[in-house]
Amino acid sequence: MNDALLSLVTPLVAALIVLTGPAMTPRRASVVVLLGSAFSLAAALLALQTVTASGATQTLNLGGWEDGLAIRLRLSPLSALLLAFTALIHLLAGLYARFSRFASGDDFWVLSAFLHTALAALWLSADLFNLYITLELIGLAAVAMVALSGPKAYQAAADYLLLSLAASMIYLLGVVFLYSEYHTLDVMQLASVSADSARTRLALALITAGLMLKGALWPLHLWLPAAHAGAPAAVSALLSAVVVKGPLFILWLVWTEVAPADLAREVGPMVATAGMIALVAGGWAAMRSPYIKVLVAYSTVAQLGYALMALGLLMSWQIPQMHIALWLFVIAHGLAKASLFMAAGEMQGTLGTRRLTGLRGATQTVPIAMFAFAVAGGSLIGLPPSGGFLAKWVLLEPILSQPQNWPWAFGILLGTLVSAAYIFRVVVLAFDRATINPPDTRPHLMGHWLALLPALIVWGMALLGEQLIGLLAGGGV
Amino acid sequence: MILLQMMRWTSLLPVLIILSSLIPALLIFATPENAARRRTILNLGGIVIKLCLVLLMLLGVSQGLRFRFEVDFLPGASLVLQGDALSLQFVTLSSILWLATTIYAIGYLQKSQLKSRFFGYFSLCVSATVGIALSGNLITFLLFFELLTLATFPLVVHRGTDAALKAGRLYLVYTLSGGTLLLMGVALLHSITGTSDFVPGGYVSGAVEENRFALMAAFALMIVGLGVKAALFPLHGWLPRAMVAPAPVSALLHAVAVVKAGAFGIIRVVYDVFGVETGIALGLTPVLMLAAAFTILYGSIQALRQTDIKRRLAFSTVSQVSYITLGVAMAGPTAAIGAVVHLVHQGLMKITLFFCAGNMAETLGIHRIQEMDGLGKRMPLTMSAFTVGALGMIGVPPIAGFFSKWYLGLGALESGNDAMLAVLIGSSILNAMYFMPLIYRGWFAQPPTAGWPEDNFKKSRFETHWMMLLPPLFTALLSLLAGIFAGSLASPLGWTEFIISQEFAL
Amino acid sequence: MSSLAANSIILYLLVAVALVMLGLYGLLVLKDPIRRLIAINIMGSGTFLTMIAFARRQDPPDPILHALVVTGLVVAISATAFALRLILAARESREAATSGSTEAEDE
Repeated sequence: MNDALLSLVTPLVAALIVLTGPAMTPRRASVVVLLGSAFSLAAALLALQTVTASGATQTLNLGGWEDGLAIRLRLSPLSALLLAFTALIHLLAGLYARFSRFASGDDFWVLSAFLHTALAALWLSADLFNLYITLELIGLAAVAMVALSGPKAYQAAADYLLLSLAASMIYLLGVVFLYSEYHTLDVMQLASVSADSARTRLALALITAGLMLKGALWPLHLWLPAAHAGAPAAVSALLSAVVVKGPLFILWLVWTEVAPADLAREVGPMVATAGMIALVAGGWAAMRSPYIKVLVAYSTVAQLGYALMALGLLMSWQIPQMHIALWLFVIAHGLAKASLFMAAGEMQGTLGTRRLTGLRGATQTVPIAMFAFAVAGGSLIGLPPSGGFLAKWVLLEPILSQPQNWPWAFGILLGTLVSAAYIFRVVVLAFDRATINPPDTRPHLMGHWLALLPALIVWGMALLGEQLIGLLAGGGV
Repeated sequence: MILLQMMRWTSLLPVLIILSSLIPALLIFATPENAARRRTILNLGGIVIKLCLVLLMLLGVSQGLRFRFEVDFLPGASLVLQGDALSLQFVTLSSILWLATTIYAIGYLQKSQLKSRFFGYFSLCVSATVGIALSGNLITFLLFFELLTLATFPLVVHRGTDAALKAGRLYLVYTLSGGTLLLMGVALLHSITGTSDFVPGGYVSGAVEENRFALMAAFALMIVGLGVKAALFPLHGWLPRAMVAPAPVSALLHAVAVVKAGAFGIIRVVYDVFGVETGIALGLTPVLMLAAAFTILYGSIQALRQTDIKRRLAFSTVSQVSYITLGVAMAGPTAAIGAVVHLVHQGLMKITLFFCAGNMAETLGIHRIQEMDGLGKRMPLTMSAFTVGALGMIGVPPIAGFFSKWYLGLGALESGNDAMLAVLIGSSILNAMYFMPLIYRGWFAQPPTAGWPEDNFKKSRFETHWMMLLPPLFTALLSLLAGIFAGSLASPLGWTEFIISQEFAL
Repeated sequence: MSSLAANSIILYLLVAVALVMLGLYGLLVLKDPIRRLIAINIMGSGTFLTMIAFARRQDPPDPILHALVVTGLVVAISATAFALRLILAARESREAATSGSTEAEDE
């Protein structure tokens, strides 16, 4: 637990140093925050090691208050894994923001450190109100980061903020209804007392609606493309890779622990269907988008469909494979998407256009960034042996083993084809040699290589496949 | 476990064979465009090393050694590389033809740009092909199969023209869809029987009783997925269109890499996953046989209708590769020999034809069949190689193609599929009808009085650049030798009999 | 201090639900960002009123809910302040763009 707390506190300390430190230039701030991320990653890995070695979930009541009153933190193998994942993404995005030529804004550092802290707090919280607070913190930090790309993004940021606040309110209302029924907000206590009742159903409906809006889960995703496409590349990477996963985590927590099992079984197919539609509709929108970053943003909507599908099937079948698939998707998507956004940012900066058609001949003008885009895209499609393939495989196995479940497999098939369509739509353009779009500036290779790094990591995930699956299978919670 | 494997050279060898082209591929990507010599050294160095390693493995396997490398990947499905007799057949073919094609490509691309990218993907493509050959189970096969798609795509669109991009899109639509179906099939089969190593006779027979329908679905998914690459009708649409690629790429696609990967996959699935008996019990092989027979005739008829040389060759590939599928589907040992040996024979002959077509186009600007009139006077060596390849395709002894057809025909009679003999004979007649005019025009028609459309390489000592002349002569010679020495164990046919005796436990 | 009668709690809850619905309606219908922000705050008031009403169902009133309301208020006020600033900035940037519309976007 101490390691996990260290992983949580380090970015906060880094943020405070950046805010209050004397003569804090952006350059120094970047060093502080990058060191903080690296340290936080190390601490999270230690926590992961101890919690898997002990095999038990650890809890901590802050301030020594008794259960029910205290802010309770909980460290499971999953939360440790997510801590490490968040720190890793922050480290990668930070490195990119530090060395890329395209500015992310001077305030990127302090905001990203705050965001990191809030996310870490979310993974560790086991109390519905506390989760509300972390959601708000994440929302505020994320909105501020969208606004980093300057006045033209203010409108998107303001829209994002309003939706985010409304979503939190809906969520909070649901939490209040749950409390009025069970007199506790603690997830573990709720798990033991919750029962199927009209008020519980209403509460869960409100919570789900609020979280789906926050997490841009289909059909409440409409705000995402503007916000994610408008932000600086490093910020888009953080938003798509980790920020939307926060609400998903709470949704998972609520439906697998708090909600009565029978109710979850009943609602599961609906959630999974929403996921399937997200996969196709999001992919379709990505396929038709004329802008590079909007394409990548819609691909997030589509890919979250996989996660939603895994969650829905987890709810309805309650088998551990779906739990594994869900979190493998989250991690694989996070890494791949970080790479895609960074590569997209580098390409549109170097080529001087936001349009897809500007990528003609990109294999010659910005070869490394384009390669990063293709490699990361390969994981989204689920080509072996990438992380995306691993997740898809784990998702497919239980679906295929029963013929009556095959319609779900058809959804995955469609999703794969649509993903391939929008990724290769870009890649094919890049091989155009007849009408090459000349770059505005000389490509900045460091940024391109850093954009490739997360994509390589996600392909490397295959080597750790069995360990990751074992880790997620071990700790159900 | 990995460390332990590192100690044993028999585990290491399959990995080294793949690395011997993968590492050069990565190094070539990093080679500057104008460092031609460094690139050539990397290319040829990789090939020489690979050929030595393959020779070592050939000797090992014929001595009864087992080569197997395993590393954890998915639950219940490791990545396995192994060298058995069948995989070696394909590895040897790819390595030798890689040598020929690389030399050819160096000559062919001398004046073009982006050579580092081209040769990088070229080597990657061969790594994927060799990986497919050495795959020890379906998961590993799937991995390299998809890698092959990704590595060949940049080669197909290498020219970067609108036509090339169009062909590339079509190629991706077909192959990625096929790959996805294959994945579904593999995953479905895994959920029923798990994934074990390829084993002669297959490993699914125990599950036939309970999962009849699911097994049939898995088989159908896999065959359709593989059939896309093997250009099985109606999944062949990408192949003629992909002819816009440079000639060495066409040669590679048709003779070594893509089409053969599909055919090889069908062999593996029928023999080593399902097993012939299970295939018959499930009623699957007759369907496959009919599809193959139809494709053979369809491809031949389409070939006859083409006026462009490369397109005629492309449809000829559609037809000829289905001989392999046909032989597999007839489910008898003799037909199996015909199928597996045709994998090699078709490769040798078809690559010869593509090299020659490339030479004609590059040297004299000849693309259409009418333009071949009197070619034999200007390019006798190319025309001779072309003739050997074409006659082989028709099935004239003693060229290699004759032996494929002989065994396929015998196999048809042996397995009681007399109608297939008719298909083979009909196809041979069609082969003759679409190849003989070319040979006739080349040797006996008068050269055009207006001169050739282009005339390059006039200063060359030979009829064309020597690096483009040597490979077709080499492969034509090999197709002759493979036929003449068909009786010895060292020939493709001899080795194939060794493979089939294991598959059918004769 | 006794707990309120069940009837009056229901009254409070009804008012709270009305507030939430009103806010939600405003959020969906209104276009002006400041009005939408006010709508969200009305939703928030409804939510907090729900909490207070539930707290009074027992005697003494549930302190946890009160603590939560206080925390929620702090969050809501900070977020509102931030939103106001952002909305104004967005408006300024839009006005600057329309007044200087001669410099067209690069697209």
